[in-house]
Amino acid sequence: PKLYRSVIEDVINDVRDIFLDEGVDEQVLMELKTLWENKLMQSRAVDGFHSEEQQLLLQVQQQHQTQQQQHHHHHHHQQTQPQQTVPQQAQTQQVLIPASQQATAPQVIVPDSKLIQHMNASNMSAAATAATLALPAGVTPVQQILTNSGQLLQVVRAANGAQYIIQPQQSVVLQQQVIPQMQPGGVQAPVIQQVLAPLPGGISPQTGVIIQPQQILFTGNKTQVIPTTVAAPTPAQAQITATGQQQPQAQPAQTQAPLVLQVDGTGDTSSEEDEDEEEDFDDDDDEEEDKEKDGAEDGQVEEEPLNSEDDVSDEEGQELFDTENVVVCQYDKIHRSKNKWKFHLKDGIMNLNGRDYIFSKAIGDAEW
Amino acid sequence: MAYQSYRNSTLGNSLQEINFRGSLNTYRFCHNAWTFVLNDVEFREVTELVKVDKVKIVACDGKNAGSNTTE
Repeated sequence: PKLYRSVIEDVINDVRDIFLDEGVDEQVLMELKTLWENKLMQSRAVDGFHSEEQQLLLQVQQQHQTQQQQHHHHHHHQQTQPQQTVPQQAQTQQVLIPASQQATAPQVIVPDSKLIQHMNASNMSAAATAATLALPAGVTPVQQILTNSGQLLQVVRAANGAQYIIQPQQSVVLQQQVIPQMQPGGVQAPVIQQVLAPLPGGISPQTGVIIQPQQILFTGNKTQVIPTTVAAPTPAQAQITATGQQQPQAQPAQTQAPLVLQVDGTGDTSSEEDEDEEEDFDDDDDEEEDKEKDGAEDGQVEEEPLNSEDDVSDEEGQELFDTENVVVCQYDKIHRSKNKWKFHLKDGIMNLNGRDYIFSKAIGDAEW
Repeated sequence: MAYQSYRNSTLGNSLQEINFRGSLNTYRFCHNAWTFVLNDVEFREVTELVKVDKVKIVACDGKNAGSNTTE
């Protein structure tokens, strides 16, 4: 709420002096602010005034174009999940549809240069932003837009207001192939993450980072992860390929070393629900590689045992383990009688089901 | 000290009082900080109710003993 706004303003202003002292450009401060707001917006429907204004301008211009396209492509696979305001679905994945956005329809096609700059400049934040794509907390959907030219533009939605589009300079082929597959796959809520690393090396590592969190997110959903064709982030790709559900990867796009992990439902998938996608990563990576050589079927066989592992592993979270609901506060009094506990808490910040709450006082009861 | 002033100013007088009920899964009290993991909890505010399968609560001392060790 307004609280956030005031906090941000306070901090930014206080920090401005220090920034300047350090000789850091004011622009960096603005960037910080924008990114902060973006992150905030993606996590909840906070009215981000400042950055949103900027975004709006861009959006209005290109919104229509991209939206239509996206609508087309994404409507099928992506489930419309209102970001936060709407009661969240039980699904573990939060896929934000391009169309159904609350505040704005933030499909901003930011000129590449700007995007790149943004990404580059804010290394960590970009990664974080990208990470947010996959992350449920705010989940920024990554959308692929097929431009007229046939190039896949990865629209990274950092926040409601801000969408960055990463233009793949390479692997055009890769993407195209993948896309058709995805659709028929009937992926439920595929968050197609294409981490394109066309951008200078700075981005590559980021993409690697990005992919991982995304994979974590998709529990139970099949998603296609198309590793960037760029050879640079091989480790990233490896991670990518290891999305929770791996299928016999059609790997149509395996023109290059990177493994294309098609988590989509080509019908072969072994397990539907992946609890621990992370754990699967490495295993799947190896499998993927082997698969490529051996062939689809072999890969499947190998995969199955792996996937069955998934079932055995602990369910990381009933809902969104990423959003393990947390409460940070202070305690006034904690009391216990036998196995009955009473909590007297105060001044707390909560994040429940992805949403942020605040309280000045909280009283609770629990049985152990 | 900073936190206190923050508490009373920026935070403002935030939301009202919240009640919650659930079952305790784990509890830990270390370095004057309580960490609980509750299951199947219901957070009830006057305006709304939020249910959650699992929640981790971390609480620091809210009384005078609250201070930053780094400072």
